[in-house]
Amino acid sequence: MNLITGIDVSASALSAQKTRLDVVAQNIANAQTTRTASGGPYQRQVVSFETELIKSQGTSGAGLQSVRVAQVTTDRTPGQQVYNPQHPDATADGLVTMPNVNLSQEMVDLITASRTYEANLSVVKTARQMASRTLDIGK
Amino acid sequence: MPVALSGTMVDPIFQSDNYVLARKLLDASVVRHQAIASNIANAETPGYQRVDVAPDFAEQLRAQLVSGDLAKGTQNLTPHLAEDPSARSVRPDGNSVDIEHELLAMNRNAVEHEYLTEIITQNIKQLKMAITGRSS
Repeated sequence: MNLITGIDVSASALSAQKTRLDVVAQNIANAQTTRTASGGPYQRQVVSFETELIKSQGTSGAGLQSVRVAQVTTDRTPGQQVYNPQHPDATADGLVTMPNVNLSQEMVDLITASRTYEANLSVVKTARQMASRTLDIGK
Repeated sequence: MPVALSGTMVDPIFQSDNYVLARKLLDASVVRHQAIASNIANAETPGYQRVDVAPDFAEQLRAQLVSGDLAKGTQNLTPHLAEDPSARSVRPDGNSVDIEHELLAMNRNAVEHEYLTEIITQNIKQLKMAITGRSS
């Protein structure tokens, strides 16, 4: 097990957080979209993570686990219904179903994703410093 | 019968307790960095349990140090990963990683790694000085 293999684990996390960030950005962008290609308002999407065991190098005990996006699911909770008879997508009662995107929830997810991304970046930086120091042994 | 020179001159430096200990701890420090990388990467994965270097590595190292024969006794001792049983999960999804704790552990580990490479470098430089007579 060396430092360079460990960077694969962090790289997987960076990629997973980037995907999550993309999904959050999509949710925020569509927070007001009442008409989608499949009809009906936009439903927010949620990312879930799972681990993937990197083969441990023959030693007993736990192995390294990288992370990946398990799936991007659609949150089917119906959104709020707002009374707005002037809206082009209003039903006969004048109600418009808005997307189920809660902006404060999405902002919290955005900040968490970006902080986790930074934490993984600092792991990669530290690994590079440690490898550098190892190469300097004896100099 | 020619006597193998390496057995007599180099051993005191490369078999000394400090040097052997530094080498083993350096291996452990790299494995610990891998463990921390895995923990931070999985800080949001439901059900993930944090891993660390198995505690019996440190115990065996200490036992060998006390018993006096460090170089021979630890030849096959390698650090490996194990789930940390003392990590309590405070989150509803069962994840037991505390990211602040991991980041601090990573910084501490980096300093220890630097310290250990310095010890090893000084040992090698001593040998160079013995060979060349010059201290650079």
